[in-house]
Amino acid sequence: MTGKRRWTWLLGVLAMAAGFSMMIAAYGAAGTKTKTTSTKPVGTLRAVLDTIDYLDPQQAYTAQSFWAMWDVYTTLVTYRHVDGPNGFKIVPGLAASLPTVSANGRVYKFKLRKGLRYSNGKPVKASDFKYAIKREFLSTGQGVGFYTGIVGAKKFSKSLKGDIPGIKANNPKRTITIRLVSPRGDFLTILALGFAAPVPTGTPPAIQNGNIPSTGPYRISNYDPNRSFTMVRNKYFKPTKFVPRGGPNRVEVSLIGDANSAVQKVIDGQADYTNAAIPPDRIASVKSKGTLFLHPTAPANTYYIWMNTTVAPFTNVKVRQAVNYALDRKEMQRIVWGGLGRATQNVLPSTYPSYRKLNLYPHSMSKARQLLNQSGVNKSQKITVWARAVSDSEAVATYYQGVLKSMGFTNVVLNILPRTTYYTTIGNVNTKAQTGWARWLEDYPHPLDWFEVLLYGPRITAQDGNNYAYFDNKKINKEIEAVRKAPVLTPAVNAKWAKIEKQIMQQAPWAPWSNRVWPEFFSKKMSCIHVQPLFGVDWLRLCKK
Amino acid sequence: MTAFVIRRLIGMVAVLFMVSLLVFVVFILVPGGDPAERMAGKNPLPANIANIRKKWGFDQPFYVQYARMMQKALNGILPGRHGEYDILTSFQNRQDVVKEIQRGLPATFSLCIGAGIIWLFFGIVVGVISAVTAGRWSDRLITTFALIGISMPVFFLGIVLRYFLAEKPAHPIFPDGGYVPLTKDPTQWAFHLVLPWFCLSVLFIGFYGRVLRSNMLDVMNEEYVRTARAKGLSSQRVLLRHVLRNSLIPIVSLFGLDFAAVLGGGAILTETVFDLKGVGWYAAQSVGDLDLPPIMGVTLYGSFFIVVFSALVDFLYAFLDPRIRPT
Amino acid sequence: MAEPATEFPLDSAAVLAAEEHEVPIAGRSPWYLAWRRLRRNYVALFSLGVFLLIVIACALAPVYADYVAHSGPNDQHTGEQVRVNGHLRPIVGGGSYFDEKTGKFVIRDLVVVGPTWWHAGGRYVLGSDILGRDVAVRLLYGGLNSLKIGIGSALICTVLAVTLALLAGYYGGWADWIITRFFDLIWAFPVLLLAIALASALAVNGFHHFGINIEPGSLWIPTLVISYVLIPYIGRPVRGQVLSLREKEFMEAAIGQGARPLRIMFSDLLPNVASTILVFFTLIIATNILTEAGLSFLGAGVRPPNPSWGNLISSGQDQIHTAPWLAFIPGIAIVLTVLSLNIFGDGLRDALDPRAKVRMEH
Repeated sequence: MTGKRRWTWLLGVLAMAAGFSMMIAAYGAAGTKTKTTSTKPVGTLRAVLDTIDYLDPQQAYTAQSFWAMWDVYTTLVTYRHVDGPNGFKIVPGLAASLPTVSANGRVYKFKLRKGLRYSNGKPVKASDFKYAIKREFLSTGQGVGFYTGIVGAKKFSKSLKGDIPGIKANNPKRTITIRLVSPRGDFLTILALGFAAPVPTGTPPAIQNGNIPSTGPYRISNYDPNRSFTMVRNKYFKPTKFVPRGGPNRVEVSLIGDANSAVQKVIDGQADYTNAAIPPDRIASVKSKGTLFLHPTAPANTYYIWMNTTVAPFTNVKVRQAVNYALDRKEMQRIVWGGLGRATQNVLPSTYPSYRKLNLYPHSMSKARQLLNQSGVNKSQKITVWARAVSDSEAVATYYQGVLKSMGFTNVVLNILPRTTYYTTIGNVNTKAQTGWARWLEDYPHPLDWFEVLLYGPRITAQDGNNYAYFDNKKINKEIEAVRKAPVLTPAVNAKWAKIEKQIMQQAPWAPWSNRVWPEFFSKKMSCIHVQPLFGVDWLRLCKK
Repeated sequence: MTAFVIRRLIGMVAVLFMVSLLVFVVFILVPGGDPAERMAGKNPLPANIANIRKKWGFDQPFYVQYARMMQKALNGILPGRHGEYDILTSFQNRQDVVKEIQRGLPATFSLCIGAGIIWLFFGIVVGVISAVTAGRWSDRLITTFALIGISMPVFFLGIVLRYFLAEKPAHPIFPDGGYVPLTKDPTQWAFHLVLPWFCLSVLFIGFYGRVLRSNMLDVMNEEYVRTARAKGLSSQRVLLRHVLRNSLIPIVSLFGLDFAAVLGGGAILTETVFDLKGVGWYAAQSVGDLDLPPIMGVTLYGSFFIVVFSALVDFLYAFLDPRIRPT
Repeated sequence: MAEPATEFPLDSAAVLAAEEHEVPIAGRSPWYLAWRRLRRNYVALFSLGVFLLIVIACALAPVYADYVAHSGPNDQHTGEQVRVNGHLRPIVGGGSYFDEKTGKFVIRDLVVVGPTWWHAGGRYVLGSDILGRDVAVRLLYGGLNSLKIGIGSALICTVLAVTLALLAGYYGGWADWIITRFFDLIWAFPVLLLAIALASALAVNGFHHFGINIEPGSLWIPTLVISYVLIPYIGRPVRGQVLSLREKEFMEAAIGQGARPLRIMFSDLLPNVASTILVFFTLIIATNILTEAGLSFLGAGVRPPNPSWGNLISSGQDQIHTAPWLAFIPGIAIVLTVLSLNIFGDGLRDALDPRAKVRMEH
């Protein structure tokens, strides 16, 4: 063996040894020796979250529930438990390997791993995946819109009877074949959403919070709505290269809405971790009492002000551009979340490979006023700024009202709607809402999740829409359609997305202003803190000092 | 007696019906957003919205929806298994409303029964002392505190207490809100409830004390008390036998209604400030979310208590004051 | 024996008579006697003074905002500075920021200027809240809103309740039965719940039916929603009084003379229950102010960004660790206002009817 090869061999052996001993440590009972620097396993992890919506894989749709669910219900393909940009990489989950995709990009073939079992011991069948997709429609889950690209799904969504011919499952061979109506570059990421997690065939469509047997390293053992839930080890789980066994034996999650209380629990040692939005006036003093982590990417988000391009005065592009000039984005970060946000003028957050930082509208109130004068719109017309009854939304709306007044508008009022009816009200074309607050938290890491959903003409719906600006630019629509088919985000494809984004911002249907950063707070005893870019704190890998 | 019971039962049902109808009308007629759209979520399909409408019956005329909702409410209480669409479930998170109310009962009952005992006892004590020592410094002191007690917003008192006793000190005396079930840890249960009990009672102690004092002073001047005194009965006996017994009658009535009100979810503010996730807290959440089924559930639950206790109180009235007969 | 705070000895009439040298007591109207008694109750008068002072201060809120604080209740001055004792201090300073060079966030507390107690020339006397708004200005405007709602709803409640009680007591029969059932219904209803529900529901679009146009942010919504809550509270005792008055001789005389019902109700019955109504009215203002504070605290009363004492407390709660005064000052304002009303109400009740205390009827 040459010297170089010997080194390689040695390194390989060492890596295996390290991996082996880490596996032993993870398997091990409390207090086993490890080769790493004096860390102990966590035992019971006590976390405090503010709220979750559901613990039913076909229903869960918030970042907080995803935090828990991705370690409980594994999907066919999933994401790696690593930090940094590698965490966006799609890897096999329940599937034995990544699928084979046909040349025309419309057929995906998967094979399940051998010997998969649910947490109740029953085997996982290929047909269970098909049932999960059906259940998504049967239970009128919030994710149905993602799966209508499968052949036969649209028909099934209307009748809720019969079969979805586009999914063929062969249980003895453990294969799943999915046919799409037309190719989509984001299909794998859609399959990695929790909605597509296989569940035992015959699980009732009615909400099952925590009762459905799980396939991941943990299972939910108890759920007290609005109060707490508990996760324990799934004894039938077999770790793979991509889904490791977890560190904690047990995870007890309390649901406490008040941020001060949640943070206090961690400071007092009654909890190990919280994701509460720490009030900005005490964040530095809180930081000194524990370990504070800021993660800018989970979930990737953009907070923006939308301007309805179909209602005066925002039909005029100069007015919209003026608003973009008038906002002092740096000040807004401070006002709304004490500085824990990054100013942005882009639609996409910076986590996307296609991201090119835009600065089309450097802050200038004089330029804003000038543009407004040039536009010739009536400055005394009534403008209603819409916001949601949540403190950050109200803060932005109040600030924005002041900005509009400084620009020259004389009649600007606020309309603050209850949390639960805000989106459906502004998403209803009859409301004719002029402008207001909104945010988008990504569903999955692909530009289509943004441009097609939020700024694409043909997807505008009369009710419950997401395109609050009602932006329908024919040229840009065509460009989006052209790029949509591309199966992989190559540099060339990314350049096209960047071009689309710049054109959109030149038309300024939005005034994006922040990518928010969420604080994660740990007690001083916690260590091995890793942040998965999509799911946030990877509590699977936590350990104690 | 049976006539009384029957008449009250009919009255109860009538009130519950009116109350539920009122709540329903408010929510159907006042625009609050289409529940089907809300449930369909962020990326809805028109087909999905249509399915939701059909399954939940939002496309029916409002009287059909009302009847269905009452049916669901009833199903939730009766034993037996029912499908998801046959019981009251929240629009917001599709949870079984009756079960949610049941989950909140331990916290609400612990808070209200404890506070009820405290405020009744101290209210009477305070009232008696200030009536007996009327005009003296003890009376004036008590009156001052009572007045402050009834002038203080319950949630503000809660915030102040919580801040000074449970948050600010380096070693806080009391825990910072939350509820520990009695079955899990009795000492912690009581510990977590001390501040909320005090907070909820203060208002009522002040109020009852003043009402009792005023009633006792009136009774003490009435003819038959003077007669009893003239007959030579000792002051104490006069006090206990005659005065107190008659003065307590309005207190009984007040207590019945107040206790029913807080038990029925009326302690919303206290539960919210101290993070006791009881029925009142659940009510406040649902109302803030414009979530009709829980609102209906909690309203019926609350009205039920008020109506039952109101009947009990009338009954007790008759028992305490022989001049009154139940009608 | 010292004069008790809110109590008068039963022979006060004799005491007063002794003081009146020239004019005989007989022939004096009960109102005048009441006024004489009230005048001697210094504590009650002082409380009335406090309450009126608060009302005037709040009514002058726009004046304060323009001339003293130079800031409206909703004006955010976050990027600006204020000169306190000669030193320039940022109104909302500190805060974290993203350091482009290191690519990391620098964590700092957000620091908000505290009460300047007049060292800044009238600006930010009670400090600033987290959005850079002047707390003193918001306190006064909030008080104005709370008082408007409290007094307005008390007026509507009293007018409605008294009308219903007069009708019920005068006509009797089925009118009485309906109105009493109506009182029972309101009494049985978990009113706070309905108040929150109505307020939240109306917040979305306002109320635009039957020719009435109420905008979503209007103060009319909490006012109307609170006003019905205490209708039975006044309605029942007044009805009881009317019922007993009806049996009296002057009523028979009036009816015998052929007077119309409306005239009887307003000229004969109403003055006799006026003292009861007056006492209840003051107490109901106090209760309604507390109810409005509770509703606004829960987010169902005065909607942000408009201030109300209740929602000032709720938004100040988040900063309670670093700026507790943001939550405490509005609360103290509520307690002072309501306490002064309660003490005065007590004194008024004693003055109008020192012997037979008006009881809470149920």
